[in-house]
Amino acid sequence: MAKHLDTDLVPYLRGELPPADRERVARHLEECPDCRQDTEQLRDLLGHLSRSIGQPPGVNWAHYRAELREKLEARRERRVWWWRPAPLVLAASTAGALLLLVAVWSGRETSTGADPFTVEEAAIGRQLGLLQEYQVVERLDLLEDLDVISDLDGLASGRQG
Amino acid sequence: MEPSDEALCERVAKRDEAAFDLLVARYQERAYRLAWSMLRNAEDARDLSQEAFIRLYEAAGSFGGRSKFSTWFYRILVNLCLDHKRKHRWWKLWVRDEGDDRTDPILERQPAPVTDPVDKLSRERTMKELGAAVDRLAPRQRAAVLLRVQEDLATYEIAKVLKCSEATVRVHLHRALTTLKKTVEKR
Repeated sequence: MAKHLDTDLVPYLRGELPPADRERVARHLEECPDCRQDTEQLRDLLGHLSRSIGQPPGVNWAHYRAELREKLEARRERRVWWWRPAPLVLAASTAGALLLLVAVWSGRETSTGADPFTVEEAAIGRQLGLLQEYQVVERLDLLEDLDVISDLDGLASGRQG
Repeated sequence: MEPSDEALCERVAKRDEAAFDLLVARYQERAYRLAWSMLRNAEDARDLSQEAFIRLYEAAGSFGGRSKFSTWFYRILVNLCLDHKRKHRWWKLWVRDEGDDRTDPILERQPAPVTDPVDKLSRERTMKELGAAVDRLAPRQRAAVLLRVQEDLATYEIAKVLKCSEATVRVHLHRALTTLKKTVEKR
């Protein structure tokens, strides 16, 4: 027997299937008691569903439309406000002032007389002391030797004594 | 003769206020009901359905007429509802929404026409559980079920609203209805 027609059953019940598919489903239903039972259950369920979903609380439609009008007007006002000359000039002048501020600030940074550092160079510069110390740390054995050398006199006099 | 939704939408694109009012009057109840069914909150449903109308007003010019107006409008609304659910998903886990209308006795508003009190009680309970089970479905499955059952949309229309293939809609519906069937069978 052909496989069950699960997803075809609802469109079949609604009469949406093209003739060839409708014929195929009808033939299958004749042969398949499971699908036949499913179809009957689906038919009942779809009938129950429309009632079980229920109706929303009532609405005063005149009030609903008046409220909608107010919201629409408010939205329009908001949009129109942005295209008025005053807000446009205000926005443009704010943007201009900000640009000017950035330009002045960056100009002051570059006119301090020092060579312009790149970010990478500045980072390496900050690490320079550490790098120098790193060489010292690498030669710790040498430092220990220096200690021994500086105490050689003491060691020698100790032996003598 | 009454102008079609599509003709009205074209007029809205040219900022015809009367055409917009007519479209609102035609779709307000459907929009509010669908939003409520998805969100189960009257205030949110009211807000989001109104927002959908505002978006319709703003975007009327982009309605190309390739699909039905209703499909195009439902897409705006359903997307708003799905976004809303996504944003409030985590919040709802912690705080029970006080405005949630889920506790409303659905069948008090729409009683089933039965006479046997025991049968009636059992049927009411089943309906209530079925309604609750619809609420527990994954958002896109729930949207597919509501568009099918409540708005009577065809599979190809649901596919356009949810921006997916017809095969995907069929799978959504099949999975959703299988889950709901199990709820009824448990009883």
